[in-house]
Amino acid sequence: MKKTLGYAVAALLGSTAFASAQGVLNLYNWGNYTSPEMLAAFTAETGIEVTVTDYDSNDTALARIRQGGHGFDIVVPSDTYVPIFIQEGLVQELDDAIVTDRANILPQFLDVPFDPGREYSVPWQWGTTGVIVNTAVYSGDINTADIVLNTPPELQGRLNVIPEMSDVMAIAIYYHGGERCTTDTAILRQVRDTLMAAKPNWLALDYGTVDAYVAGDFDGGLYWNGAAMRVRLQAEQFAYGYPATGYPIWMDNAMVLADAPNRDNAMRFLNFILQPENAAMISNFARYANGIIGGEEGMDEVMRGAPELVIPENLVAAGRWGQVCPQEVNDIHAAIWTELLQ
Amino acid sequence: MAKGFNVRTLPGFGGVAILTFVLLYVPIVILVVFSFNAENSQTVWHGFSLRWYEAALANEQVREVSIRSLWLAAVSAGLATVLATLAALGTTRVGRFPGQTMIYALINQPLMVPEIVTGIALLIFVAWIKIATGYTGMGYMVAAHTAFCIPFAYLSIRARLETMDPALESAAADLYASPVQAFRYITLPLLVPGIVAGFMLGFVVSLDTVVITEFVKSAGQETLPTWMLGQLRRTTTPEMNAIATLFLALSLLIVTVFFLITRTRGR
Repeated sequence: MKKTLGYAVAALLGSTAFASAQGVLNLYNWGNYTSPEMLAAFTAETGIEVTVTDYDSNDTALARIRQGGHGFDIVVPSDTYVPIFIQEGLVQELDDAIVTDRANILPQFLDVPFDPGREYSVPWQWGTTGVIVNTAVYSGDINTADIVLNTPPELQGRLNVIPEMSDVMAIAIYYHGGERCTTDTAILRQVRDTLMAAKPNWLALDYGTVDAYVAGDFDGGLYWNGAAMRVRLQAEQFAYGYPATGYPIWMDNAMVLADAPNRDNAMRFLNFILQPENAAMISNFARYANGIIGGEEGMDEVMRGAPELVIPENLVAAGRWGQVCPQEVNDIHAAIWTELLQ
Repeated sequence: MAKGFNVRTLPGFGGVAILTFVLLYVPIVILVVFSFNAENSQTVWHGFSLRWYEAALANEQVREVSIRSLWLAAVSAGLATVLATLAALGTTRVGRFPGQTMIYALINQPLMVPEIVTGIALLIFVAWIKIATGYTGMGYMVAAHTAFCIPFAYLSIRARLETMDPALESAAADLYASPVQAFRYITLPLLVPGIVAGFMLGFVVSLDTVVITEFVKSAGQETLPTWMLGQLRRTTTPEMNAIATLFLALSLLIVTVFFLITRTRGR
């Protein structure tokens, strides 16, 4: 009895992960977001074994990292949370001796407001929120927020708008020329009025509607680029537009944690994903765009040059990064949103 | 003679009962039906196919997390059942003793406190120990799951124990059996249905726990529920339905056996 108990305890303690010759790397990432092919290539090149642990939201990741004792090396938060991680000292600066290829990052993503000069982070995937339109029904300009906010007659009553408060408010605020966290009550009042006037033209406020678009239930709406691409691949008449007045752009960024147990391995991994062929593997898996020069070449046929993944030159400047607004501003947005949903 | 009050005679009883069952089970039925969908859609039926089950069983990640979940559930339920048996034997059929209410509260605490609160408390506590000792193995998960499963096993064993006649142990003592022998030959065999039922309940509960596992897991320690939670943030295919159906079938099997064991065993 005592022997079996002893063996059991030993087996329990012995089931900790054992290190390979080159060491391990512990990646803490969003669920279903890391390409197994890319990890296999990394292990083949460096001999480092990689474990992936999932989180389902930026808040969960932040709470666990703040607590300490997590054992992870790399975390991949969204752009709105990157400044929080940096300010709280939870991540460390990239090692210039190991991470040598930061020049591979696309120029538009090289000097970003949430990490000027890319001292701490490397792009993982990025995406936008824009409008999706059935071009068989409407043949006008689709690069405008008028599709959802001042709907043309052919599309009235045939639209779906994703019920994401941050995306809808952002589009409406940019439409009226404001900054994301503006406190200008004149602009916010206009935003409220525009949204309330636009709402009768919307058929639904739903998530998860790829099937509905393909089935012909909607002819347009506000949508994320990844989902819009999936719609277009099943129903070619749909096109994705970038509102010229301003559209939200988001990016998930890989960073090395300040107390990472395998710091050098983590730096090597970040340099690895700066290579275009590896970034393409991430894109093929996650079905979004990476931020690396030449990153389209390794992508699957259907994704290369897809309008949802490549922003037209003249509309690049209209992309606005998200911001975490002060509580008073959030309260106003919440009030407008509640009124809209009633 | 006046008829006793029977809720079944109230108007609308049948309707409300049917509505309740529909609301509870139709989503699950839809989940199971679409796991057999021939095309990659969770809302439009395209025909019957087993492709998602093949994909799920071939998926290496799914296999790894499933095995880890099952191992963790078995070990935690086993430990929890042992501890719960000891607890039940100590607190049942012994009359009132000082601290009785507090002990019940302590043992049943995971049932009463919201799981998120337990999860965050464990996050802080486990993080502190990790920093102090540097150990990052499965020990934390086993400990957390065991603690969470104890009340389920305890209540099941206690219920069985209360229906046992204490005269049996007295008779054994009269026949010169020592307390240990009385336990081994009389109490334990009669208690086995309760213990097995407690183990199975603990097993199912441990398989199911998301919140605590999400906060306590270390690198590379995904269990099936946390893995599936991670998948949900991005698009899901009917492969999720297939995995969910397989585990639903496993849980149903376990609960059915639990029911059969506890139904009519002994007095």
